[in-house]
Amino acid sequence: MKTQVNIIAVVDVIGALSVKTLLDGNLCMVDDGAFDSAHQGTADLITVVKPGQVVSWTALALDLQTPVEIKNISFEPANGHNGAAASGPAMSPPGAHRTTNGGAHGQAHGQGQAHGQGQEESEGDKLDLDVWTGVVPHWMTPGVPYQYRLELQMYEGSNSVMSIDSPALMCQ
Amino acid sequence: MPQQLAIIVLVDVGNALASSTLEGNTYLFDNMKLHGSENQGTGELVTAINGSYWRDGSQASEQVLNWLPYSLGSIPPTVPRGYEVERARQTDEQALAELQELAAKSTVPSADAEAELNRIRRSVGTRVKTTRRTRGRMSGQKIVDVTGQVVTEDATAAASYPAPVITDIYGEAVESKIMYPAEYGSPDMVTDGWYWSATVDTSRPGTYSYMMRVQLHKLVQTNGELRWDPVNLTCASALKITSEPRRNAFTKAGIGPLPIPSTARPGRGA
Repeated sequence: MKTQVNIIAVVDVIGALSVKTLLDGNLCMVDDGAFDSAHQGTADLITVVKPGQVVSWTALALDLQTPVEIKNISFEPANGHNGAAASGPAMSPPGAHRTTNGGAHGQAHGQGQAHGQGQEESEGDKLDLDVWTGVVPHWMTPGVPYQYRLELQMYEGSNSVMSIDSPALMCQ
Repeated sequence: MPQQLAIIVLVDVGNALASSTLEGNTYLFDNMKLHGSENQGTGELVTAINGSYWRDGSQASEQVLNWLPYSLGSIPPTVPRGYEVERARQTDEQALAELQELAAKSTVPSADAEAELNRIRRSVGTRVKTTRRTRGRMSGQKIVDVTGQVVTEDATAAASYPAPVITDIYGEAVESKIMYPAEYGSPDMVTDGWYWSATVDTSRPGTYSYMMRVQLHKLVQTNGELRWDPVNLTCASALKITSEPRRNAFTKAGIGPLPIPSTARPGRGA
């Protein structure tokens, strides 16, 4: 078994900013997992993993000279979103989004919050230093896709943060 | 930082030639304002380069820079490279057709014919003289203005300048082995096929200056002949390098389990 699974989100930044959505082929997610991940090459990628594996996310811009970084990845429940529909500029800044969800999700949730609150986040605040890597926990129910929200920062400006709720991790 | 960085070197060629300096006639931009580059759009650009390293101290990223020189008040760089040659050929063909017409019309020289000949001569434009030194890129071409019309000897003020060419990058940043510049050829028509690129060592933070040697071309008329004379000028800029450790974005510390809530279970279509 591979110890690490890499997920790459390839972003057509110019396309995404033009139509203000990560859908319509502007985001293409691919992983190199050893199991049968579903929907490779789409924004609905379901990466099949095993507990103990390390998952690592990277964003890559199609246009080499437009900076794009991962702003956040969160596994909170889809809070009114049903996951199938997604994207558009994030409705609220990620910090505000978190507080509306409250602290109802125990310790694991708290870890997720650390990113938003541990520091004053300004737009594009050294996002390039972030390494999005984590170990697949043992408490995931096998066969169930755990959807996550992927937030991408494309340079700066009012519409520069876009997110998608459709990709998922699933334990084998 | 896997993405490459572009630095646009925009030169007001006309003014730079008139005042023989790039100072005040150069405008620099890069695409890293977000990461702290300062003085965009001036001659005092400080390009921010945020290096990073792993916790064990090894270098995590280096930065690739590309310099793209552009000219203010020239034919736009997006126009294909063969455009001036194409325009010159069109005016030649037009002049030939008009000459034929004129020849067929009049067999006896007359004042009318002479005026007509003069008109054709003017519409045909002027070719730049080829010398041993100026053979190549712009030699033998006609002088074209920014709208693509050929211009004649007495109207060369309207000429479109050839794009500036960076011929060298040197100075502190190069001497102290912070960056390793080199000139590359590419099939990219926008930058005329040549560009300077450099890899930056981000492991030694600090502000480092560097110089660019830029070649402009001045249209000069000697003995009724036009020539593009090269004019070499220099222009300074700087890199500001910082370096910080990479960090795990989930935990802000070492690697840990993914923050998947153990209570919630967001299923697809649930």
